[in-house]
Amino acid sequence: MSLSPEVLEPVPVADAAPAPKGVVGRSPGQLAWMRLRRDRTAMISGCTLLFLMLVALAAPLIEVLYGVGPHDEFKHLLTRRGSIPLGYAGGVSADHWFGIEPGTGRDIFIRMVYGLRTSIFIALASAIVTAGLGVTAGILAGYLGGWVDTVISWITDFALALPFLIFALAVMRPVELRFYGPREEVPTWFRVAVLIAIFAAFGWTSTARLVRGQVISLREREFIEAARASGAGLGHILFRQLLPNLWAPILVSFSLAVPAYVTGEAALSFLGIGIVDPTPDFGAMIFRSIAYLQTDPAYVFFPGITIFALVLAFNLFGDALRDALDPKSSR
Amino acid sequence: MRMRVAAAAALVLVVSAACSKTTEEGEEVDQTRTATGVIATDPKDSLGPAAEVPGATKGGTFTVIRENKISHLDPQRVYSFAGLMNAPLYARSLTAFKDDGKGNLTLVGDLAETPGTNVNKDCKVWEYKVKDGVKFEDGTPITSKEIAYGIARSFDPDLTGGPTYVQEWLADTADYDTKWNFKANKASLPPGLSTPDAKTIKFEFTKPRCDLPFALSLPSSAPLPPAKDTGVNLDNQPFSSGPYKITKHTPGVELVMERNEHWDPKTDPVRHQYPEKFVWKFGPDPDAAANQVIADTGDAAAGLAFNGVPSALVSRVEGDAALKGRTITSPTPSAWRLTINTQHVTDLAVRQALNYAIDRQGFITVYGGTTVASPLTTLMPPATIGYKEYDAYPAGPTGNPEKAKELLAGKTPELVLGIGDDVPELGTQLKTNLEKAGFKITVKTIPADAKLDETKKKDNPWDIWLDQWAADWPSGAAILPVLFDGRSIKAEGNSNTSYFNNDAINAEFDRVLALDPSAQAAEWSKIDERIMKEQAPAVPLFVEVAYYLHGSKAGGIFISSVFGYPAFVNAYVKQ
Repeated sequence: MSLSPEVLEPVPVADAAPAPKGVVGRSPGQLAWMRLRRDRTAMISGCTLLFLMLVALAAPLIEVLYGVGPHDEFKHLLTRRGSIPLGYAGGVSADHWFGIEPGTGRDIFIRMVYGLRTSIFIALASAIVTAGLGVTAGILAGYLGGWVDTVISWITDFALALPFLIFALAVMRPVELRFYGPREEVPTWFRVAVLIAIFAAFGWTSTARLVRGQVISLREREFIEAARASGAGLGHILFRQLLPNLWAPILVSFSLAVPAYVTGEAALSFLGIGIVDPTPDFGAMIFRSIAYLQTDPAYVFFPGITIFALVLAFNLFGDALRDALDPKSSR
Repeated sequence: MRMRVAAAAALVLVVSAACSKTTEEGEEVDQTRTATGVIATDPKDSLGPAAEVPGATKGGTFTVIRENKISHLDPQRVYSFAGLMNAPLYARSLTAFKDDGKGNLTLVGDLAETPGTNVNKDCKVWEYKVKDGVKFEDGTPITSKEIAYGIARSFDPDLTGGPTYVQEWLADTADYDTKWNFKANKASLPPGLSTPDAKTIKFEFTKPRCDLPFALSLPSSAPLPPAKDTGVNLDNQPFSSGPYKITKHTPGVELVMERNEHWDPKTDPVRHQYPEKFVWKFGPDPDAAANQVIADTGDAAAGLAFNGVPSALVSRVEGDAALKGRTITSPTPSAWRLTINTQHVTDLAVRQALNYAIDRQGFITVYGGTTVASPLTTLMPPATIGYKEYDAYPAGPTGNPEKAKELLAGKTPELVLGIGDDVPELGTQLKTNLEKAGFKITVKTIPADAKLDETKKKDNPWDIWLDQWAADWPSGAAILPVLFDGRSIKAEGNSNTSYFNNDAINAEFDRVLALDPSAQAAEWSKIDERIMKEQAPAVPLFVEVAYYLHGSKAGGIFISSVFGYPAFVNAYVKQ
C-alpha cells in the first residue's frame, strides 16, 4: 500500500518470535494494529468507546430490559414543595439507577442512554460528512493546483474566517422558519440534519488543508508520475493512487473531530439552539441541571461525568491512533 | 500517593454532597390569602403616625441586593416592581395602601386627607385635600400646586416608562401627549386637573373613572416643585417627599438613601423611618445574591435578596434549619393562565374540555413546586379585593381527562401551543397532559424575548400559550376589563390576548365600572365566575408564590399584598 520509505525500513518488533524465517513481512496496517494493541491507553479508551457505542446502539433494548422509557414521568417521587427527587443522590434507587430529574420526574439513566445515541449519531455523522467534504476538496486542490487550488483555498479561508458560534446561533431559526410554518412543529430529525450541516460547513476546512498539504508533497512522487505516464485518468490517480496514502492523517483527524462534535453539539443544545426538550440530549440536560447544582448535585454529576468520559475516551483513542499510524511524529 | 489522597478526598466530597437524604418536610404555603381590602371612609385612618412594628429598633443600614438596577427612580416614571417597592421610601403619593402583609388592605389618604371625595357620586369629579405639615426634603411645604405639577409632567413624552391611567383619563384618549403638550404649557395644567386653592386638587373626567383612588396610589402622583424639575435627569436624583432622600446614586452599582429630617411621621399612615440608611447594591445574579444572604455575613446580614430565592435553590433553603425564621413566603397577585385564542378555538366545548383536562399539580411540579406556585381556578388572583373562590370545572388537582374526552365527543382538536424557548419542559408537560385528554398538541417554540410581543398581536398563529398578569391595584377593574373587554382589541400590543369579545360581558364591564369603587368588589367576582362558566376564554393555572430570604439582622419585611414583592415601609435593622 504505502510506498513511503519510512515504512519500508525494517521495524523492530518486540514480540518477534524466533521464527524460522527470521523476519516476517507485515503490512503497515498490521504494524499500526500491533502498536495499538500494545498501547494500554488505547485499549482502555477503545473499550470504553466500544461500550458506550454499544449502549447507544442498544438503547431500545436497554429500555425494554430496564422497564422505563425516556419520556415516562415519576412526579410522585418528587417533593411537592420544591420538586426535588426524594431520597438519596437525586432519587437513586433500584428502579432508577441514576435517579430522576427534578421538576419533570423523568428517569436520568434511560434519558442518558438515549442522549448518548443523539450525541454519538450527530458527532459521527458530522465527522463522516466533514471528512468526505474535506478529503474531496483537499485532494482536488492539492493535485490539480492552479486556479482550482486558488478557488478552493479561498473558500477554505472564507469558511475559516466565519465565527462558528455566532453563525450557528444566527442560522438555526431562519432555517427553521424557511422550512416550517408558524403552526408546524419542527421535527427532531430536521434539527439533527441542520446541526450536522452546520458542523460540516465549518469542519471540512481543517481536513481539506491537511489533505491538500499531503497531496502536494505526494503528487510529484514517482508512483504518481508512473500512473500518469501509463495513462491513468484523474479519478484513478486521485482515489486509487493518492487516497490510500492519505488514510493515516484522515483517520487521525476524523477520530479527533468526533469528540469535538460531541462537545459542539452539547454546547449548541446547552445554548438552546440544538436539540430541545423532550428529546433526550446531554447539552440540554446539563443546561437544565446547572440550576440544581446546589440542591441536586447528582443531576449534574451523572450526565456530566458521562459526556466527560465519552469525550476523553475519543480524544485519548484519537491520540493513540495517531501514534500508532505515525510513530515518528512528535507529540 | 498524593494523587490518591486527593482523589479520595474529592470522592468523599461528592458522595457526602449526594448522600444527604431529601425528604418531604415543611408546612404548606397558606394559599387562602384573600384581600379584604376596603377604602377608608373615616379620615382618621389616613392620619399618622403608622402603628409601631413590634420589636422594631432605630438605626443601622438596611441593604437590598439585586441583579439589575431599578429601571427608573423618577416617581412619574416608576413602574417596575423594584421601583414600585422602593419609591414609597422617597416619594409620597395622593393615596396609599395600608397593608398588613396578610392580605388586609385599606386604601387611605397619603398626602391627601382621605382617599378622595367622589363629589357628585358619579365618579366624574374627584376632590382631594392636602394634609397639613407635609414637606419636601428641603423643608418647603407640599401644596396642591406641586402635586398637580407632578401629574402634569407625566404628560411629557420624554418621561417614558410610567403608568398612563391618569393621563389617559384626563385627556380621554390614549394619545394624551398630543392632546395636551406639557412642554409648551408648563405653567398651566392638563385638561380636567385644577387646584382651586393651595390645599385642594380636583380631577374632572368626561367619563366615570371610579378607579381613580387606586390609580393615585402609584408613585406617579408624587409631588415635585417646578423649580426642582430636572427633566430626564430627575431619574438619577429624585426630589424626596418621603422618609428618606437619595444621597448617593451610582446607576447600576449603588443607591444610598438617608433619613429625610423634614418628613413628619404624624402625617404618614403607612411609612416608618427605622434604619439610618437604605442601600441598594446592584450586580450579583439571583443565585449569588441568595447565597450572600444565606451566608449572613457583612452587609447581607441586615439585608434582603430582592430577586428572591431561585426555585432551584428553595429546597436547599428549606432543608437548612439555620435558615428557619429568615424566610418569608406568600402567594402573590401574579396570576398565570393558559390563554385560549378564541379567534381560533371557537368551540366552547373545546375550551371547557381544556379546563377539565388541565393538570395543575403536574404543571406546578415542573414549574418548581408549591413553594413557588399555588394553584388557581379563577381569573382573578386571591389577593383581589372581593375575591370569591370557585371552580367552574371541578376536576381535582390533576385534572379529569375522562370528563374532557366526554366533552370532546370523539373529536381530536389539533391545537398549536406557543411556548417560550426558555421553558421547553413546560411545553412538554402541557403536551403530555392535554394529549391524555384527547387533544393533539403541536409544540411551537418562540424566542423567549419575543414571546410577549408576538402573542399580543391579534393575528398571531398560535391557539394556546402561557400568559401572566399582575394588576396595578387589587381591584377586578384592573384585571377583568383589561384582559377580556373585546372592544379594546387592536392589531398589536393587546392585553386581551384571548381576543375574546362578548357583548353581554362588555355591557357588564360598563355597568360595574360606573359603580362606586367600594360597591364594585363583589360584582367583579360574579363577572369572573360568569366569564369562566359561560365562555372559558382561558385556563387559570396558578399564582406565583414569593419566596424570600433575609439576613438575621433584618426585620419588618413583608410581602406587599398589592404587588407581591417585599415592602420596605416597616423594615428595620435589629440592633
